[in-house]
Amino acid sequence: MKGLKVSLVIMASALITMGLSGMAYAFHTGGVANCDGCHTMHGVYTGGTSIAGKGPSLLVGTDPSSTCLLCHGGLPTGSASIGGGPKIMTYPFPTGSVAPSNFNSGGDFAWLQKTYTVGTGTGATIENGQTHGHNIIAFDFGMQGDTDFPATSPGGSFDSTKLGCDSCHDPHGKYRRVGTNQSWTIGTPATLGASSLPISSSGSKGAAPTSTTAVGVYRLLAGQGYLQGGVGGTPIAFPGSPIAVATGNGSSEATAASATTGAGQFRVAYANYNGSGATTWGQWCGTCHSAMLSTSAATSHAHPVDVPLSTRGEDQIYNSYVSSGKTGGSSATSYLSLVPFMESTSDIGVLATHASSGATVVTTGPSANDQVSCPTCHRSHATGFKNMMRWNMVGEFITLADSAGNAIWPGSDFGASSTYNQGRTELELRTAYYMRPATYFGPYQRSLCNKCHAQD
Amino acid sequence: MILIAVTFWVLSPATAKAQPVKGTFLYNLSNFTGAISFSWPRVFIDQERNEVYVIYQNFIRVFNETGMEVYNFGDELDIGSIVDLALDRDGNILLLSYKWSQTADRIDYEITRCNYRGEPKSKTAVNNLPPQYSKFLANRMIYREGNIYLASFATMVVVVTDDNGSFKEVYDILPLLEMEEREKEDAMMDGFSIDKDGNFLFTIPPLFRAYKITPDRKVSYFGKSGSRPGRFNIVAGIVSDNNGNIFVVDKLKCAVMIYDKNFNFLNQFSSRGWRPGFLIAPEGIAIDSQDRVYVTQAGNKGISVFKITYD
Repeated sequence: MKGLKVSLVIMASALITMGLSGMAYAFHTGGVANCDGCHTMHGVYTGGTSIAGKGPSLLVGTDPSSTCLLCHGGLPTGSASIGGGPKIMTYPFPTGSVAPSNFNSGGDFAWLQKTYTVGTGTGATIENGQTHGHNIIAFDFGMQGDTDFPATSPGGSFDSTKLGCDSCHDPHGKYRRVGTNQSWTIGTPATLGASSLPISSSGSKGAAPTSTTAVGVYRLLAGQGYLQGGVGGTPIAFPGSPIAVATGNGSSEATAASATTGAGQFRVAYANYNGSGATTWGQWCGTCHSAMLSTSAATSHAHPVDVPLSTRGEDQIYNSYVSSGKTGGSSATSYLSLVPFMESTSDIGVLATHASSGATVVTTGPSANDQVSCPTCHRSHATGFKNMMRWNMVGEFITLADSAGNAIWPGSDFGASSTYNQGRTELELRTAYYMRPATYFGPYQRSLCNKCHAQD
Repeated sequence: MILIAVTFWVLSPATAKAQPVKGTFLYNLSNFTGAISFSWPRVFIDQERNEVYVIYQNFIRVFNETGMEVYNFGDELDIGSIVDLALDRDGNILLLSYKWSQTADRIDYEITRCNYRGEPKSKTAVNNLPPQYSKFLANRMIYREGNIYLASFATMVVVVTDDNGSFKEVYDILPLLEMEEREKEDAMMDGFSIDKDGNFLFTIPPLFRAYKITPDRKVSYFGKSGSRPGRFNIVAGIVSDNNGNIFVVDKLKCAVMIYDKNFNFLNQFSSRGWRPGFLIAPEGIAIDSQDRVYVTQAGNKGISVFKITYD
């Protein structure tokens, strides 16, 4: 009997061990992943001689971003949502008139490599690719920083030489949300103290924490008390973590959306909320770009962020605006993914119902208290346009018309003036607008500032 | 062209029957100006003629078996973004490319058949695809014994057609793997090849695994996370030689690991470095009939060629 009991114990132990060894948790599912996914513990050695990892913190790559891009760089591997998946930088970098082809919400870093010659002859100018986004330093991928802002961030004092993926994203995913989707707190184990719980799933898709588990924060974006690179790293004084919910796993925002109903779009439900470890998007971006942070154009001469769209009736304009010269739209179908707004709610469950895509996308426009913020006009990684804008701010029109009067993206290959395309082909422009057809707007569409201001 | 023989040889502490096998650096693929700078290009080996095709930034270069460029084409092609290349049984070049489809109103793939000079001759349309795969987008294309294999990394689907593009069968791989729900979230292929027996080989990096699927859909896999020789950090390309040995590239470790057909670790060669013979973020791998392994890298470091020898 004793022998049988021992055998049973051994068998049970073996079963438990086998079960545990079969549980392989995926990368970054809300929190820190398997250490071996990014670090090499004992260096990369040959013939018994240890060669220490070249990068900091046993990352092997020359810098942190060179490690992130091992998995997040590459050609898109999306399925029906072309350009979806975790790739955020097309690599190798496309050349000629080939555009970057990842359509994640943050944008494709490969746009940083797309430098355009605008115009011809002695009047030609250069639009440097580095103006298209955040110039992260990833030496192994040929990305060596911003020569326009070599010292500090524009409008701020962040050390440009330290800009990398880990400047905004916490690669260890320590920030977590505990509580419920309606009443929650964001923090790290250090700040949450006794109420801290282990992370069980991603926080990007609206999953709810439980009484025994937490969820991560949106896209592992860092919050209060963040040290870039971990212990001993440079403090970045984020006031909190920003909030959003998206469907899928870094899915594609590419769309051939219908102009009539807005269906077919990919909607990230952004929210502005201050408190409980969260912060508004404007405050969060303003950590490094404080001079751009403004709540009143009257006092600072900067576009206000984090203010209700109803301040001067922009919510009603947004909802009625269809395209240049056309109003009469409905709040039920006014949502435009190229001009997202921040919902004024802290209810993650509500955001989760709004985060949608395809035929069932929620197309409802803003309510009075919803807000404008940095992501309304910019993407956080890079875009196909100067200053990381979601649309082209150079030139009077963003669409023109062909000989039949149909709307076209004014590509250089369509004979359009460089005033409108800055050297881009029609497909490059369409790609920069995430594959949206020009017919969505119609001919002679002006800047999308008009979605809120309707001055066209 | 400078030939530098750098031998990397590590005995595995965990090998049941150690087979001395090593990788010796030969050279980088070059032209008459020197080693060519590529970053994560796509490599295809013409086993019959021992020629190497490299796709990089929509341009195709052809190298002979000493690693020298002998031909190139692609400047005049207007077929979109070239993603992969294969040769059919007649020696025609098949190019897999992405192009905007006006009819489908989305990016779609197409196969262009070219002659040996790279001049387009015809299109091969995939037809009779089951409706549930109507939005299938291939990342990889392999031609084997009159069949075209098209693999989608994100959806983990492999479509098989005949030489004319007519649908024959589909491998929906994810259900075959019997994963936990949690694992499925990041299940995505990276590195796909077909060995001499027709088995599919691929890796799933976030799960630290390499898989083999037989033509009759039997699944086996290996791999454990870790940084010691034979363990996986971030695996990528995978390929098999004529002995059935399996070569797996590790992007983080900057090494190539060798396993026998039973997944026993044999050896590992190379490590991180910018000097010849060392690797920077290696990604893809191909092997020719002379046991030469071609490893693609980032950082403009080109394609390093290693000779595999068995003592």
